[in-house]
Amino acid sequence: MQPWDNHWKYVYCIIRNDRSKEFGEIGIGSGSRVYTVSFKDLAAVVSDTPIVIYDPTRENVLAHEFVNETVMREFTLIPMSFGTVFRSENDVLALLRSTYQAFTDVLEKMQDKIEFGLKILWDRDKVVAAIERENDEIRRLKDEITRNAASSTYFARMQLGRLVEAAMEEASNRYVADIHEQLEDVSVASRSNKVIGDRMILNAAFLVDRRDEKSFDERVKAISLQYEDLLTFKYTGPWPPYNFVNIKLKLEKAI
Amino acid sequence: MGLLTNILLAPFLGPVWGTKWTLDKIDRVVREELTDDTPIKEDLLALQMKLETGEIDDAEYVRREAQIMTRFREVREWRERFGMSTSGGPVRVAESGESK
Repeated sequence: MQPWDNHWKYVYCIIRNDRSKEFGEIGIGSGSRVYTVSFKDLAAVVSDTPIVIYDPTRENVLAHEFVNETVMREFTLIPMSFGTVFRSENDVLALLRSTYQAFTDVLEKMQDKIEFGLKILWDRDKVVAAIERENDEIRRLKDEITRNAASSTYFARMQLGRLVEAAMEEASNRYVADIHEQLEDVSVASRSNKVIGDRMILNAAFLVDRRDEKSFDERVKAISLQYEDLLTFKYTGPWPPYNFVNIKLKLEKAI
Repeated sequence: MGLLTNILLAPFLGPVWGTKWTLDKIDRVVREELTDDTPIKEDLLALQMKLETGEIDDAEYVRREAQIMTRFREVREWRERFGMSTSGGPVRVAESGESK
């Protein structure tokens, strides 16, 4: 087989489906045909590709994601990690065969579940202002420093800084705990990921039953209204359950 | 890269290292540094966040994304050189699995 052959298979996700199915010409690369490779009642959603390594650029990641979104409208799916390419249909079948039980179990567990992402950023100045309003000790110390600008010591300022830092950490924990609590009864599970950058206080994924999608949605909107003045909500989804499926595949390099 | 290059080439050119242990340890540290793509992933996520919050514009995003992709490729090359698994790219089911 030549490297420019177009017969490698890019795999997007695994679904439960026992007949062949077409998803249109929406594949990664150049919009190639997206279809299924079936083994028993499992199917891999694939498109043909030349043997290339796909960089995780925005364009490529969006293409991968778009296919999964399309499949998700009809199926519960297990997403494959970005960029996974198999040599032939036979290799894809080998994957389905060797991992049949694990895929089946996870598909069962993920049946009709979707994921939502919630990132929460705060506006530091506004949070500090809110803390100064609420915290008597901080307010008093600040007034004192302002009043005696000339004589206020370095230590008084240090003390204020430390109090504000501690209060901010406490506030961040309080917000996050409150938000988790309010979302608890409309979600199945949640997972917190590492925060990105210094303005983010929460980077979480929530697993939600399709039946509760609307309630979850409304709840997030209500919370974001409640915190409107302090926090910015970045709410995304529905996604495939990226953060709740962890199947380690025994794969090795094909060339 | 300067320091790494020195460390990689030094055993042949520079002063002889004190013990085998040091050499192994340095080798391990260098390997980990060269083959770990976690910080690159984090940079990519941070870059996306900056675009989302309007801190950078699209042109800037594209420019920095290209730099990050170069770093990804470098790490991939090192991983391949050390015979480690790489994310993405051509794969097949490992023979040692319960397949067949």
